[in-house]
Amino acid sequence: MRTLMLALLLASPAAAQSPHWEKATLPADIKWQTNDTDAVFADPKAKKGGTLNTFEVSFPLTLRTIGPDSNGSFRTYLNANHTELTYFHPNTRRVIPGLATHWAYGADQKTIYFKIHPKAVWSDGQPVVSMDYAFGLEMMRSKAIVAPWYNEHYEKKFDKILVFDDKTFAIRSRDRHNHFDLHYVLAEGFHPRSSRFHKLDENWVRDVNWKIEPNTGPYQISRLDKGKEIVFERKKDWWAADLKYFKNRYNVDRIVATVIRDQNIAFEHFKKGQLDGFTLTIPQYWHDKAKGDIFDKGYVHKLWFYEGRPKPEFGMWMNMDVPLFKDRDVRLGFQHAMNVEKVLSTVLRGDYERLNSSSEGYGKGTNRDIKARPFDLKKADEHLTKAGWGKRGPDGIRVKDGRRLSARVTYGNASHNERVVVLKEEAKKAGIELTLQLLDSAASFKTMLEKNHEIAYSGWGAQQQPEYWGQYHGVNAHKPQTNNFSNTDDPELNKDIDAWRAEFDEDKKNELARRIQKRIWDIAAFIPTYKTPYWRIGYWRWVKWPTPPGTRTSDDPIAYFLKESSAWDGLYWIDEDAKKETLAAMKSGKTFPAVTVVDKTYREN
Amino acid sequence: MILPRLDPLTKKKFARFARIRRGWWSAVILTAAIVMSFFAELFVSNRALVVRHEGRWSFPAYGAIRPGTEFGQDYQYETNYRRLKKTFEEAGRGDFVLLPPVPYNAYENDLPEGVYPPTAPDFSSRHFLGTDTSGRDVLARLIYGFRTAIIFSLLLLLCNYVVGISIGCAMGYYGGAFDMFFQRLIEIWSNVPFLYVIIIVASIMVPNFFSLIFIMMFFGWMGMTWYMRTATYKQKIREYVQAARAAGAHDSYIIFRHILPNTISVIVTFIPFSVSGGIVALTSLDYLGFGLPPPTPSWGELLRQGTNRLDSIWMAASVVASMIALLTMVTFVGEAVREAFDPRRHTVYE
Repeated sequence: MRTLMLALLLASPAAAQSPHWEKATLPADIKWQTNDTDAVFADPKAKKGGTLNTFEVSFPLTLRTIGPDSNGSFRTYLNANHTELTYFHPNTRRVIPGLATHWAYGADQKTIYFKIHPKAVWSDGQPVVSMDYAFGLEMMRSKAIVAPWYNEHYEKKFDKILVFDDKTFAIRSRDRHNHFDLHYVLAEGFHPRSSRFHKLDENWVRDVNWKIEPNTGPYQISRLDKGKEIVFERKKDWWAADLKYFKNRYNVDRIVATVIRDQNIAFEHFKKGQLDGFTLTIPQYWHDKAKGDIFDKGYVHKLWFYEGRPKPEFGMWMNMDVPLFKDRDVRLGFQHAMNVEKVLSTVLRGDYERLNSSSEGYGKGTNRDIKARPFDLKKADEHLTKAGWGKRGPDGIRVKDGRRLSARVTYGNASHNERVVVLKEEAKKAGIELTLQLLDSAASFKTMLEKNHEIAYSGWGAQQQPEYWGQYHGVNAHKPQTNNFSNTDDPELNKDIDAWRAEFDEDKKNELARRIQKRIWDIAAFIPTYKTPYWRIGYWRWVKWPTPPGTRTSDDPIAYFLKESSAWDGLYWIDEDAKKETLAAMKSGKTFPAVTVVDKTYREN
Repeated sequence: MILPRLDPLTKKKFARFARIRRGWWSAVILTAAIVMSFFAELFVSNRALVVRHEGRWSFPAYGAIRPGTEFGQDYQYETNYRRLKKTFEEAGRGDFVLLPPVPYNAYENDLPEGVYPPTAPDFSSRHFLGTDTSGRDVLARLIYGFRTAIIFSLLLLLCNYVVGISIGCAMGYYGGAFDMFFQRLIEIWSNVPFLYVIIIVASIMVPNFFSLIFIMMFFGWMGMTWYMRTATYKQKIREYVQAARAAGAHDSYIIFRHILPNTISVIVTFIPFSVSGGIVALTSLDYLGFGLPPPTPSWGELLRQGTNRLDSIWMAASVVASMIALLTMVTFVGEAVREAFDPRRHTVYE
């Protein structure tokens, strides 16, 4: 029946001219690949069953994953239940199969081919077919979804879906990509859609707002109590349940997300056992709030887990278009005069760590030999003296030709006050005066984009790929509205960045990346500050974890009990016997040893 | 400038003011606090008052910083006198350091190992009101913040009054088209939403002490004009002004010599309220983050830290208590001044 419909569709002239897909024949020379050799990361001891109770601070505004009001945190759980074509192995970062069993790359570097798993079915029982992807692209480009950003994204990045047969298709992009990026740009986050469910007309936004969309993942919403709670039910006969990389995952039968609008109140619920876990990453929670009986008596365990994901790039960029910072020795002097260590060990309670380079957490693409320059008054003095700033004025600040060694630090977040004032006070010891320019975040970002800063105290979010070109390439130096805050313009670095961008071979690319980082370190205009390479949670002792309790790219499993795409876990399970035992123990007053696990399996450096 | 000699009537007013005990004592305490705050370095500072080192005496409280090397230490930056005191005591060679009662300044972060700010009030470390979220002494920030606020407020008052009184007087004295023009101008000007302007300005440039005074004066001078205009109108038609004019006195002589002294009660009555207004304005701007740039010690900034960290109640409590005390005293003074200068008690209509 399905095939017949497809055949009819393919035959119709309108469809043949669709801008979203076309019927094609599979090239003969194609080399199918798969991966069943990377290690599994789930625990065979995992038991199925039980209910995980968690909370959300607000009820979602819609069950759509696209369109108005859909961009909330709740979408994560919906997207998590759309199985991706392929995943990146959370530890090795190599491609592993998902909804596709095999994949292949076109010689044009624009096309990626997929074979859909023969057993893959929608939650409504219909098989997943190539045309569902064609419809997926059509939908993302449709005006009906009222999502201009997505319309444009799918227009610019995607060219067409090539349909070979029901279970074989290809995605063709407009740009050339290396193999990693073909998966990253085209396959990740691009979901099939069911044309039986979506009617793309002007009423779409309203019609499907509270409708449960068919999905291909392990859970489906089973109950919705508007404003109060959402319940996800595990599919008893999920098509992928026994596949290598899905086995022993998604173990709990039910996930109940209750709406609790206040963190502090939610924490009280957690302490009563009404929530199974709670995120404790913030120092105040981990050190001050997560104390007391339930922790001491071993009913609730604490876990501090170090992950190895790419790190956001927090730091200070010295603007080399400012005459003062043209001198490398001055920059080196500043590098050694910033007492980041003291900020970390005091106001940040020793919880944050020193960031060492501009791109940490990129596996082999990170140069581990690079270490941030430590606070060192002697070295600072050496470099500054060499640059002619040897003398100190009556206020202890260095002077040269009647000018004081003073620089303005621009930042955009008042909550960082306590960090920068420590830097300022400590820099005085090195004879450097930092004046602080606190602007509101938008104005501070604008100041930096316009290059009107002397030192930019800021940060960049982590991405799958570092942004060398935008931040350090000479093309973006000396002009406003670019991210090159240091105005780095170094011919050698430019050459490497260009080569890195053009390189498709992973190993060569990584080598270039390491060289780029070294060069950025040598130029010394970027002072790396801090990172938080971990998450911390508390959980009742009946929640069980594999060993180690997460993967290299795991995110906080309490905040993201289901996580979309590559970092998608579902590794935990609930031990019903342990739950009974614990509840009985709490009544009788029996105690267990207190447990605080610090797991550093994936800690880098 | 020669101050106009006080006439008996004014003397009587001051005597009456002194008799209003609440206001009088508030004025005394406030004046003492202001004067003392000008010498805050002697009470609250990380610099020692007196150091004797190898028979040499030094007084580092004021003047250029003294590097550690001057007292036989091994560092180039400013001497840490608290540590120096310990070192000297341990050495026991008769060298000594005399520290102020609160041995911290408003900027330095006192962050001992293993203790995380904010820390609670503690007499042994001489943090009498605890420390804030970056380990700075709350009392020191409070006192230096008070100094900043009061100087700010007085300067602002001076600027506002100079402009406001001149324009107000001129409006009243010249009247006619001049008066009409400024009336309309002020009406329009006072409808500019002042807080928004400050927020916009502060988000594109960091206001410093003087630019903030300038901005606030720019939108604050209008208040006094109306009162001065009315007062001047009233005086202008009095016989003594007419007489002076008939005698050929020129305008500025009449305004400064005759009219101003006779409107002084209007001005004096407003001063205390303008002072408290200035302090409140600065504190609220700092609280919102649009006032003086960090790390300037300021009550508003401390209040913001305090309200974010209500579990560390000493921060919010210190500011709130100081604020209440200060504003209450200023109000008492204001009340007393208004009563003492009440024209109904002194004016005799002929």
